[in-house]
Amino acid sequence: MEQVAEQKGMIFDLQRFSVHDGPGIRTIVFFKGCPLRCEWCCNPESQSFKKQLMVVKDNCIDCRRCEKVCPHGAISFTPEVTIDRSKCTNCGACTEVCFSEALTMIGKEMTVSELIFELKKDEVHYRKSNGGITLSGGEVLAQPEMAAALLKACKAQGWHTAIESTGYAPKKTLDLILPHLDMFLMDIKHINSIKHRKHIGQPNDLILRAAQQVAEYPDTELVVRVPVIPDFNDTPEEIAEIAIISQKLNVKKINLLPYHPYGANKYENIGETYQVGHLEAPSKEKMEILRELVEQIGLECQIGG
Amino acid sequence: MTQTSPRIEKLVDHLYAADPQVESERAMLVTESYKNTENQPIIIRRATALKDILSKMNVVIRPDELIVGNLTTSPRGTQIFPEFSNKWLEEEFDRIEKRTGDVFRINDQTKRELSEAFKYWQGKTTNELATELMAPETITAMDAGVFTVGNYYFNGVGHISVDYGKVLTVGLDGIRKEAQAALASLDLGDPEAVEKSHFLEAVLISIEAVITYAHRLADKAQQEASACFDAKRQQELQLIAQNLRRVPEYPAQNFYEALQSFWIIQAVIQIESNGHSISPMRFDQYVYPFWQADVESGKISEDTAQELLDCLWVKFNDVNKIRDEASTKAFGGYPMFQNLIVGGQDARGLDATNPLSFACLEASAHTKLPQPSISIRVWNKSPEALLHKAGEVSRLGLGMPAYYSDEVIIPALENRGICLEDARDYGIIGCVEPQVGGKTEGWHDAAFFNIPKVLELTLSNGYDGTTKVGLQTGRVEDFTSYEQLEAAFKQQLAYFVKLLINADNSVDVAHGKRTPLPFLSSMVDNCITVGKSLQEGGAKYNFTGPQGVGIANCGDALMAIKKVVFEQKEMSLPELKQVLDSNFGRGTAAPTPATPAPSVNATDLSQMSSDQLVSLLQNLLSDNQAAPAAPTPVATGNKDAEYVRQLLINGAPKFGNDNDEIDYLVRDVALAYCQEVQKYKNPRGGTFQPGLYPVSANVSMGLGTAASADGRYAGEPLADGVSPTSGRDTNGPTAALNSVAKLDHHIASNGTLLNQKFHPSAVAGEEGLRNLSALVRGYFEQKGMHVQFNVISREILMDAQKNPDKYKNLVVRVAGYSAHFVSLDKTIQEDIISRTEQVF
Repeated sequence: MEQVAEQKGMIFDLQRFSVHDGPGIRTIVFFKGCPLRCEWCCNPESQSFKKQLMVVKDNCIDCRRCEKVCPHGAISFTPEVTIDRSKCTNCGACTEVCFSEALTMIGKEMTVSELIFELKKDEVHYRKSNGGITLSGGEVLAQPEMAAALLKACKAQGWHTAIESTGYAPKKTLDLILPHLDMFLMDIKHINSIKHRKHIGQPNDLILRAAQQVAEYPDTELVVRVPVIPDFNDTPEEIAEIAIISQKLNVKKINLLPYHPYGANKYENIGETYQVGHLEAPSKEKMEILRELVEQIGLECQIGG
Repeated sequence: MTQTSPRIEKLVDHLYAADPQVESERAMLVTESYKNTENQPIIIRRATALKDILSKMNVVIRPDELIVGNLTTSPRGTQIFPEFSNKWLEEEFDRIEKRTGDVFRINDQTKRELSEAFKYWQGKTTNELATELMAPETITAMDAGVFTVGNYYFNGVGHISVDYGKVLTVGLDGIRKEAQAALASLDLGDPEAVEKSHFLEAVLISIEAVITYAHRLADKAQQEASACFDAKRQQELQLIAQNLRRVPEYPAQNFYEALQSFWIIQAVIQIESNGHSISPMRFDQYVYPFWQADVESGKISEDTAQELLDCLWVKFNDVNKIRDEASTKAFGGYPMFQNLIVGGQDARGLDATNPLSFACLEASAHTKLPQPSISIRVWNKSPEALLHKAGEVSRLGLGMPAYYSDEVIIPALENRGICLEDARDYGIIGCVEPQVGGKTEGWHDAAFFNIPKVLELTLSNGYDGTTKVGLQTGRVEDFTSYEQLEAAFKQQLAYFVKLLINADNSVDVAHGKRTPLPFLSSMVDNCITVGKSLQEGGAKYNFTGPQGVGIANCGDALMAIKKVVFEQKEMSLPELKQVLDSNFGRGTAAPTPATPAPSVNATDLSQMSSDQLVSLLQNLLSDNQAAPAAPTPVATGNKDAEYVRQLLINGAPKFGNDNDEIDYLVRDVALAYCQEVQKYKNPRGGTFQPGLYPVSANVSMGLGTAASADGRYAGEPLADGVSPTSGRDTNGPTAALNSVAKLDHHIASNGTLLNQKFHPSAVAGEEGLRNLSALVRGYFEQKGMHVQFNVISREILMDAQKNPDKYKNLVVRVAGYSAHFVSLDKTIQEDIISRTEQVF
């Protein structure tokens, strides 16, 4: 047990009172790092496995204390605060003197026992609402030992466990996870592996195999979630394919998550570029048509988490 | 939910067709009556005045009403009560129509008549006597804004629930017989026999007066029936007349009579005195036998019963009250605080939820009006269906119902010496104040005490500018440890609480001497038995409840000083004091409660960009240059001052994020106030009991409080109730609830108040109702006392501010009550908007 408690993972956020990612009132633990690169990702700060300096220029009060403490000379004011990412090592010295939350460090090494301490705070609310813990990311399964250790520790507390994952992981990782997992919320984004690779960076074979494995595992409920992305998978044919495959996997319910651009500004904050700025959120009417389609195929369907 | 009868919409439209009027009738009648009773005992004079008012005032039956009984001729009008205070009104005559919130219409004739009446009252009011009784240092502290006893200082006390059930079952006739028997059995050798006989005679006079009023209304209904050509309405009017010949004099025979009897009592209490928070309390308990008998036997259908109930609900909104302009900042939105509570356990400790509990919630959903303030008692055995029904009403965005925990309130009341059976039968007065109905003179809204102001005065060695207000507990230069500062703060706190007690007890004595209330007293135990009015200590239970405001600001400020000055040593205490004096580099005129709030006060500055802050600063500085008072010299560069502000905000933990270190410090601050208050006794033989809720005084008190070390600018609102400071709780609602639950709610037995605002999406669907219920139960399991929800989007509120005409019906939760959003003062609107919105 000692070993489990001291297992470390790279975590970038905890979100309490989450009611859309599994049943009841839940706390979400966001794992940092993802092997996929979905073009529309709304949490770009979740992709890298390392700590990253995030800059929110609007919060800067121009006190310029960061400029003085940076050991690498990576910060200048031109006139607003600017980071030279080629010099920055993400050491975090600047964040220590920034109290206006203009410079913050994304990502923190946390142990299972530290996380359990935080998660315990809402225990009464999990109990009253039949809620629990959801691990999300980034990609939870990209830190398999940590994910397994944390889920095991949560089960030891008697909590309902869920993960929200792309399913991009080999069989042995799932073997490690499934015994401690009540619900698997799996993103299935496209059935066409070539298109999948083009927009996401990886083929989908591993994901579909994982879905099969979870579906066959008796004690874990599988829920499929589909981010509906314009120009990628938003035609009725593409959504229907996902629904039909899901039905074969004995999935009862699909969530359709409409694309939104709210993560766009975060790319700039971590020194990256948002590639899909031209996309527009799908209309309510379009989402309704897709929902009806999924229901006609014979699955429960909900728009949004 | 079931359909609303079309009658209800007509009643509501009639009620809200015009702005409310000030009327002079009652003021003239009470003055005339007093002139005729100069040499009589005060209690007899009060009863005679009530008789003169009720037998001469204009009685009105409004179109389509089924439940009747008016306080004013015009709908939602206000009468004037010159015996409590009147000078402020005469001074504000020309502002009443123009003020920014709670506007009333007043015509020239009314002004003339009131001015004439007021001449008589020079030196005779409760307010003037109270002022004479107060110690000079008490008045200095009030002037400096440390606390206010304004409510009862200028008005009747109210804040009571009488034994309505007794009136319904034995009638006023039963109480009359009780008083007659007490009078007949008076022991003439008893030294108090003379005073007792006066009181009992006054009770008899006032009961006759109320019966006369009911009969006059019956005559009026009969008259209108004779002149009515609509056969259906004619029948209704005849039935109204028939009801009023019977009740409230005799026991109610059916559900309709019970409602009519109830309303006459509710109306007359508010004609006798203008004390607000006349709370029906456990209406679903004492009216249920009548509902059950009629509905279960099929005598009336459930729909008919619901329509009658809805009519009564509209009637609650026909009561109104004019307050002075400064008070409208603390009590915004024409609130009357008639609190009606459903569910919970009965005196035996069994669950008391019944079908009428649901019907009451349904009536609130049908009428969508601010009154009555509907509440729900929750305990472990409350049916989930009742919580879901309550959740449906919460989702309408009315800010109601408020949820209360039996598991905290019952032991809290027992701890105040109330027996178990009575404690289990508690209800809620006004905003959030627990009381045993029909047995208590609770004086629940006795004062608001500005806790951050005490810290401000501690940092200035007891001086407010050049005025010596507090104790000299040391200059900032002399404090070498956090513990010394905290000790000085607690010393100042104890000193000011003592002055607060002096202020309250002075006002209390003045009410006993000048404005005892015989009719109100006749319906509360044990007044008749002991032969004393409530105001002289006749109730079974007596309390005085002053409220502490701003515990989150004060705790956050102390923590910031502890961390930044004493642990991290980022700056010295005198340096910090200098930054605070400069209002974080903004410079400002010395804050005074009378200064209107700059429009930026309530916006969340921590969320603004530096550009926005600079332009804001420029606006503010240009405003201040125009102001007559000299701005404090800007001691520190703006940039450095803003750095310090951010350091104070983000360099130390803040209340509301489920962090034990700060949560327990805020708990300590609250306890320091509460433990000090509960040491004292009042002149009615009861004890002081603290509360932690602000009504909306957190806005007005914020105006009078300088910049504080929690990063709050001068003039910004204080945190409301026990809620975290707006925008400082960033971990979501469960974290905020957990933090607040760490306070000792048992000791704050006069009530605590927690606001939580949700976007409608947070509570959508069946799942949303389940989660809302779980959240309430989870908070209560951790021993929280009260929570209420505003389910409304920020966008809607902002749009309502811009287009008030589109949103006349928008009701929001202000504090312990709900009000029409557009009737609120701008600063209160801003405060409501800025309370953290929980969206996900």
